[in-house]
Amino acid sequence: MKTKRLTAFCAGILLAGLAGSALVMQKPEDSTVRIVQDGVVLFQTDLQEAEDQTLSFVYEGRSNTVEIRDHQIRVAEADCPDRLCVETGWLRTALPIVCLPNHLVIEFADEAQEADIAVR
Amino acid sequence: MRRQKPGVSCLLKTGICRTLPLVLLPLLVAGCGQEREQPKAEQTVFAMNTYVTMTAYGEQAQTALEEAAQSLQRWESLWSVTEEGSEIYRTNHSGGQSVPVSPETQELVSFALSMAQETKGALEPTLYPLLRAWGFTNGSRQVPQESEIRELLQAVDYRRITVEEGELTVPDGMQIDLGSVAKGYAADKIAGLLREYGVSSAILSLGGNVQAVGSRPDGTDWRIAVQAPWEQGTLGILEISDAAVVTSGGYENYFSDEEGYLYWHILDPATGYPADSGLQSVTIVGKEGRVCDALSTACFVMGQEALAYWRADGSFDMLLVTEDGEIIVTEGIAERFTPGEDRTEHVEVVRR
Amino acid sequence: MRCGNQEKTEMTTKKLTQLAMLTGIAFALFVVELQLPGLSPVPGMKLGLANIITVYALFHYRPGDVILVVLARILLGALFSGSGMSLLYSMSGSAFCLTGMLLLKNAVGEQTIWISGIFGAILHNTGQIVMAILVTRTPGVIVYLPLLLVSGVLTGAFTGLCAQAVIRKLPAAAVDR
Repeated sequence: MKTKRLTAFCAGILLAGLAGSALVMQKPEDSTVRIVQDGVVLFQTDLQEAEDQTLSFVYEGRSNTVEIRDHQIRVAEADCPDRLCVETGWLRTALPIVCLPNHLVIEFADEAQEADIAVR
Repeated sequence: MRRQKPGVSCLLKTGICRTLPLVLLPLLVAGCGQEREQPKAEQTVFAMNTYVTMTAYGEQAQTALEEAAQSLQRWESLWSVTEEGSEIYRTNHSGGQSVPVSPETQELVSFALSMAQETKGALEPTLYPLLRAWGFTNGSRQVPQESEIRELLQAVDYRRITVEEGELTVPDGMQIDLGSVAKGYAADKIAGLLREYGVSSAILSLGGNVQAVGSRPDGTDWRIAVQAPWEQGTLGILEISDAAVVTSGGYENYFSDEEGYLYWHILDPATGYPADSGLQSVTIVGKEGRVCDALSTACFVMGQEALAYWRADGSFDMLLVTEDGEIIVTEGIAERFTPGEDRTEHVEVVRR
Repeated sequence: MRCGNQEKTEMTTKKLTQLAMLTGIAFALFVVELQLPGLSPVPGMKLGLANIITVYALFHYRPGDVILVVLARILLGALFSGSGMSLLYSMSGSAFCLTGMLLLKNAVGEQTIWISGIFGAILHNTGQIVMAILVTRTPGVIVYLPLLLVSGVLTGAFTGLCAQAVIRKLPAAAVDR
């Protein structure tokens, strides 16, 4: 019966979502993080090696202050209406810290890539 | 039981279920075909006064690269400013007589002259006498007298060069030098040659001028490391496919006087002195190596005005490093550039 | 899109009033939900109480009317929260959501209206993620999808069940189609 199929479909989505969430909530092996705004990578570093520092990014007059401390990264201050990015706290899993109004994303990245060739 | 009209959702489901596998199957097969290992060929030659390294993938890549290596030697013997038998040398020392030149030379000179016009003289193919006075051509490196510079500037004017119907004419006292465009032009020619041989993935470096044919064999973009000016490090990685990348900067060839003042080899054609336009380096990304080569020099001379030039032109992209250490990227490559780890330069994106 | 055998119905005053009331209730639910403490710092994760109204409307009114009610509620919500950006996300989410629910409407029986709620919520969240990716130009945001799918299924079931209960109490006859 159609209802059975639909219910099975919903259950399937739920399971997929749970599985995906489990995957995503893991801490990635890599410790390279990058800060991306509007799709442009503005900063990249290996958290294991990084010194404590604060960085500031401005978007249309609104700013985000990013803090790196004890090899962890988070948004310390933000000039945006919901401040979800600040509440997310320290970056722990594959889930990026997102400041939607300021188009800012902080995420774990794949290994910083090796170049094929250098332009001089 | 009343028979219901089939709902849209039902139609969608059966339709999709039937056609999806049919659509996916050929795609899968095609995809598998691409992944097949392609033979790799490499060549390194010393030509045009610099190292040329070429890497290409394909059945005929080896043959193509060998032919490219030969072409490079031939082009050097045509365009060298110092080799006595070259077409350029003979033209420069002909006392103003016209000299018959090969089609490639004519094409290259025409191109250089048209770029000079496009950039309103920021690119100047006739600066050789000045470069020699500054000692950049033979490594002697000295600061010429102001009077000498003024006098030599008289001989700088691309408009007095003519090339037509296989004849090149350089007025007496002037010298033409294709150093700012030759490598890019050669790269274009080699890329064309590779494509003719069926090569769809290759990466070349002609003395640091990078040219990519297609993408990496696995389909991902080529990763080009951009050198940070005035230091050993990498500014970041530029990911491109089917494009040329050329960088110009004062740090490539410079010397300092007793007071520690720096002089570099990119001269401002208007003053005869090293171009001091507020930029540490210019990296041009575009479809043609010759254009990128020409523009990298021209935009370095233009400085911040290069952005206006870019807005008006629109056929290339660039990455500038200002004298304050700021990085400016044009929107076409903004998402293709990733700063190196721990680089703290401020990146600004310029949009049309 | 009209099918051949549907009669032309007009917007009577009675119907207009009913639709307006629904919009008002949806908006009120939206405002109430805003006051509740945040569920989690995940963008887009919320109860979506206003969707109870949407599901209800779906089963009592014509598609065009449902769209009206949803649009009106979104606009009011955007005006109230003072954020133009949220308008974009709501529109995107609702577009996905309504399309899906309208398509699925015939497949769902009276006892299983809650399924409609689930589909609505899942599609809404997916729509929002898609818009977020487009706006920030960062595909990495898609990583949030699994979590939003889970919350979508759960909250959707909840709002769907609420709507189902309401629909049973208010039979179609009482409503002006």
